[in-house]
Amino acid sequence: MTGPKLVSILRQGSWLIASIHTALDDTQMLMFQHDLIDQIGRYRSRGVVIDVAALDVLDSFGARTLRTIAEMARLRGAETVIVGIQPDVAFAMVSLGMDTGTVPTALDLEEGLEYLGRPGGARSARHGRAAG
Amino acid sequence: MRDEPRPHDDVAALIPMLRRVIGARVDDAATADDLVQETLVRVLAAAARVEPGMLEPYAIVTARNVVASLWREQDRHRRNRHRVVDLDLPDSPDQDLLASEERTAVAEALARLTDRERATLLAHEVSGQDTRSLAAEQGSTAGAVAAQLNRTRARLRVEYLLVRENVEPPTERCRPVLLALSGGDRRRQREVDAGRHLLECDVCAQLSQPLMERAQPRDDEVRIPISTDADIVAARQAARELAARLGFARTELTIIATAVSEVTRNIVRFAGTGEVVVELVDRPRRGVQVTARDTGPGIPDVEKALADGYSTYNGLGLGLPGARRLMDEFAVVSEMGRGTTVTMTKWCGER
Amino acid sequence: MTEHTDEMQPAGSAELTSTAEDQLLPQLVAHLREHRTKLRQEWAGRIQDSGLLHAMTPQEMAAETTSVYDNYVEVLETGSVEALQRYARDLSERIIPRGVETHEVVGIVLLLRDVLARSLFEKYQRDFGLLNRVLDAYEPAANRIANTVAVSFVDERERVIRQQQDSIRELSTPVLPVRERLLILPMIGVLDSERARQLTEQLLTGIRTHRAKVVVIDITGVPAVDEAVANHLVRTVDASRLMGASVIITGLSPDIAQTLVTIGVDLSKMDTIGDLQGGLEEAERLLGYSVTRGDGTGTM
Repeated sequence: MTGPKLVSILRQGSWLIASIHTALDDTQMLMFQHDLIDQIGRYRSRGVVIDVAALDVLDSFGARTLRTIAEMARLRGAETVIVGIQPDVAFAMVSLGMDTGTVPTALDLEEGLEYLGRPGGARSARHGRAAG
Repeated sequence: MRDEPRPHDDVAALIPMLRRVIGARVDDAATADDLVQETLVRVLAAAARVEPGMLEPYAIVTARNVVASLWREQDRHRRNRHRVVDLDLPDSPDQDLLASEERTAVAEALARLTDRERATLLAHEVSGQDTRSLAAEQGSTAGAVAAQLNRTRARLRVEYLLVRENVEPPTERCRPVLLALSGGDRRRQREVDAGRHLLECDVCAQLSQPLMERAQPRDDEVRIPISTDADIVAARQAARELAARLGFARTELTIIATAVSEVTRNIVRFAGTGEVVVELVDRPRRGVQVTARDTGPGIPDVEKALADGYSTYNGLGLGLPGARRLMDEFAVVSEMGRGTTVTMTKWCGER
Repeated sequence: MTEHTDEMQPAGSAELTSTAEDQLLPQLVAHLREHRTKLRQEWAGRIQDSGLLHAMTPQEMAAETTSVYDNYVEVLETGSVEALQRYARDLSERIIPRGVETHEVVGIVLLLRDVLARSLFEKYQRDFGLLNRVLDAYEPAANRIANTVAVSFVDERERVIRQQQDSIRELSTPVLPVRERLLILPMIGVLDSERARQLTEQLLTGIRTHRAKVVVIDITGVPAVDEAVANHLVRTVDASRLMGASVIITGLSPDIAQTLVTIGVDLSKMDTIGDLQGGLEEAERLLGYSVTRGDGTGTM
């Protein structure tokens, strides 16, 4: 990825905060997936917040990629929460027919971090997942 | 046009004679008319090299050759005219050659018009006669004459390009498509499915570029060629931008963009290349229409592809059915081996 | 007409006969400028006789007719309708609230076209050929003007109507922030797709602005919904969850519940509570939990 950064992945204790800064095409989305999973493994992260506020669209491919990330992160022992889905994007997603799956979502970064618990905190995220 | 010499004047005088010559040999009036035109084309092309006063016999020989070639080759569209008439021009410096080719091309294109078309066009463009008086002569209205002139100009552009590029349209569909493009007539372009033809036909794809440049530029349409992932983003952003002009709410814009994203991805995944056309429509209501077409392998079972959960790549199986849910109108036409066209529309507001 | 001689022709028209076509319009414009006051008054009189624009006072009428007249002549002169378009839109904005109708606007422009055409007819009646040429030059321009004014008016009218509808809709679907992190959306009346769409947009943006964690949608006041609106409701609930808010639906009537089941909604997955009071209690509970348990978060 050249030019201005499309995504950034920040490490904060045992948490990773990944932000997508612009609309991504499929290839860029897959690179993001690769980089993030790579860092989760490298830093043995316990939780990941993915901020998608800058995405113009979350279509079936984008949503699937996020779910794949969450699933792979889970296999590596990290909980993932998606934050920042815009109102219009959220409505288009459900209109497209994406059922609410199993990846937790929260309003914004602050909520996402709260969901995971404070960095370094002992709370096990899997107890607190919202139903439905 | 005003500056062009007009070899057609001499040649036009030959028409009645050519009618007789050809009429005596061909029964079908329409075919005979075609052959007369064709003969004129060839005579015009050669006119500069024919001795003055020898034009008439030359025309007769050409007419007979043309008829013979019809008999010989039933399919006139595949004929090779080099076999009948040698179009090679004598050696000359490049510039002369270019200018002369240009003249020849214009003259030949003019000759390909019908008598009436040519007469009206020349009266208007060269003699400066206005549409009203032309209408009076023809027992028509000024509007109808203007429309006819537009059609004639469109045809002239097409014929000129064909002559200049020295190509024969390879299929029956080429000429109607080129005419529709040249005239900038959107309705007609849809009728003849011009977009699909341009994807399939290399000749028309090359020829059509100058035609489209000549036509009125349109600001209510965007075309995005599709071949890579990045084009998916470009297509959906273009659709959003164009639709925003109609005053769609933000949610609806995102819905449109998401649907475009899905159908465009299908092109990249299954067909490799294609195009997405986004246009604003105002009939029967205001809305945005998206056409995504490709020349890929086609969808074997459209019904099944529209059912939820059907997916042959790593998506969620939401592509087509999802896009259909997002839009108000949705149609898929797919032909095995020829490709797929998805047309979908979102109407603006409930009014 | 055929036996006319040179001395019968007015001097100006003899000049005209010899001028090129592109000189016709400028001369025509000069004529209309010269007789501005008389022609404008004649036009205003015709408007009054036809009973058009009765919503306007004579002073207003005088001011507007003068402006329209000048704009009209300017278009004939320059061939550019842009200034006229701006003026027509501006005028429409002023007169639409006063109930001026489309047919009145079209009517007055056509009256002006005719008043001016008659004046040209009078001026050039002695030379039929010239008159024809003048009218040929005048007619397309005049039609274009009439068209421009009519289209501008109709556009403006549509815009005003849209704006009014929008503001009515906004009033009818309030999103109420009852306490921190809690929104109530009381829906009242018949929901059509357009209103449902607006409502959704307000709710979802409301969730973001108020950072809501719980939303109570009260549909006690909604008598019935069709399948499209029921679908929309379900999507709204799901979209709210994607934004991290829990949704409680209260006041669900048996009829609407039936519609939801018909379109395949699994009601057990929706948090429905009988009445608004119960819904608010449930919301408080969820918000209480959310502090310790992280509830109120959605999944995708």
